[in-house]
Amino acid sequence: MRNNSCDIFCAVVDNYGDIGVCWRLARQLANEHGVSVRLWVDDLRSFGKLCLELDAELDEQRCRGVEVLKWDADSFSPHPQPLSRLRARGVADLVIEAFACRLPQSYVEAMAAREPKPVWLNLEYLSAEEWVEGCHKLASPHPTLPLTKYFFFPGFTEKTGGLLLERDLLERRDAFQSDGLAQEKYWRSLGVPERVAGELRVSMFSYENEAMEELLRVWARGTQPVTTLLPEGRSLPQVAAFFGHAAGQAGDTWQRGKLRVHVLPFVEQECYDELLWACDVNFVRGEDSCVRAQWAAKPFIWHIYPQHDGVHLEKLEALRVRYTEGLQSEIAQAVGDLWLAWNGGQDIALAWPRFVTQCEVLKAHGAEWARRLAANNLALNLLDFYRQLA
Amino acid sequence: MKTAQELRAGNVINVSGEPMVILKAEYSRSGRNGSVVKMKMKNLLTSSAKEWVYAADDKFEQIILDRKEVTYSYFADPMYVFMDGEYNQYEIEAECMGDALNYIEDGMPCEVVFYNDKAISVELPNTIVRQVIYTEPAVRGDTSGKVMKPAKLNTGFELPVSAFIEIGDKIEIDTRTNEFKKRAN
Repeated sequence: MRNNSCDIFCAVVDNYGDIGVCWRLARQLANEHGVSVRLWVDDLRSFGKLCLELDAELDEQRCRGVEVLKWDADSFSPHPQPLSRLRARGVADLVIEAFACRLPQSYVEAMAAREPKPVWLNLEYLSAEEWVEGCHKLASPHPTLPLTKYFFFPGFTEKTGGLLLERDLLERRDAFQSDGLAQEKYWRSLGVPERVAGELRVSMFSYENEAMEELLRVWARGTQPVTTLLPEGRSLPQVAAFFGHAAGQAGDTWQRGKLRVHVLPFVEQECYDELLWACDVNFVRGEDSCVRAQWAAKPFIWHIYPQHDGVHLEKLEALRVRYTEGLQSEIAQAVGDLWLAWNGGQDIALAWPRFVTQCEVLKAHGAEWARRLAANNLALNLLDFYRQLA
Repeated sequence: MKTAQELRAGNVINVSGEPMVILKAEYSRSGRNGSVVKMKMKNLLTSSAKEWVYAADDKFEQIILDRKEVTYSYFADPMYVFMDGEYNQYEIEAECMGDALNYIEDGMPCEVVFYNDKAISVELPNTIVRQVIYTEPAVRGDTSGKVMKPAKLNTGFELPVSAFIEIGDKIEIDTRTNEFKKRAN
């Protein structure tokens, strides 16, 4: 759909997850497929953490091939200025509402009035559950207007929309992971010392976590040196408290027993990929970083976004079942136990040692898993679906 | 207006001016606090069936239809036949029966729903009592009611019930959600 236009609407619910996915998709459509992309975002401050060249004070700007515009997702009728921007630009050929965020009514009416009608997709949350396959690409006719939206579900099987994967990502990963100098240069750029003998290097990106203190204690009392790279964020106060500090900031280094923690600045998406590639084990949270950890092909532990009625544990289990398929049962069990422990279920002091001894097997398994997932590319699937409907 | 999450099999809604009867509604939690409802619907004007999906909080105008109290008489494939107090018969296609098929029994009182004088669906009382014809023995020691196990009714329908329920017990069921409520006295 080169030369076609696309509007992506993103309402930032929880800092980085929603905008992380939207920003990645926007750049891929624009830079790999020649689509003219306008990304409408309601919170440019969170977005600015993922893209340092973005100016959070500007309502309109161009950034890495994408036109970025501010909108007000809290109001069904946007404020006058955004509304005039919406009107002035008209409706795009492809309209993507991310995670069922509500589009301004005036924009929906403009879509209904446009001929030919735009293709309207709701890009849903990622889930490994089976029901997703039955809802992927289903129509959702508007209750009152002559307009049809379609639900597009990312996922892990060919009956879903697949996962976001940049064209050259796996090649860049392989090149980086086989280049010791590049890794040294990367660590130096972050101010992180080189590895000591036998060290396990762990990236830590999580929500506040009840199991955090116990895991840090296990690492501190263990026999293997563990270096944890901790980007600034929600889990930093917990980690700082473990070391007796009221707070922490990028550049801080703390040591207790065999555990050393380096606090990193919140890094841009590309730089975060390199962190995942360079570490031995990755703790990730939410949707976007979980997918990136799978592309990194290293052992990973997923802190899923907690939902009040525990439904997130079903989603955690659904991914565990898919991800561990083909592994020996005790290894699959070790993965499941640690994932569950990290999400509030079991004793992490028991689960961690069983997991870490399987790292070499999980590394090989992760590479094969990533290779299989790479055959189902979300951006390509989405554009194919657009062509079918347009 | 009703949200997609509140809609049930047998409800009729207006979708872009078309009267659609819901044959089946499946609710699933997506991410964060989002949910979706996958619905099988039939257009009352064209009889064509569709499978659509909506966000749980999408709103619809519900079409209020005429209703009549009836009792279930018999099944004449593919129609279920109901009779009112004046011995008038009303036929409903099996496909339009929705979850009522889980519980339908001879002589069962219910309501037939009409659209343009045509019987299109049946609605059951919100709560009904049914006998369990098969379930595994109770797990010793658990009397909390939180542990569930499958139980089969005489229609063949299976639903989760508390572990203390035994074969032959009568149970109360919420027909809107197909959920076990409690053991009936």
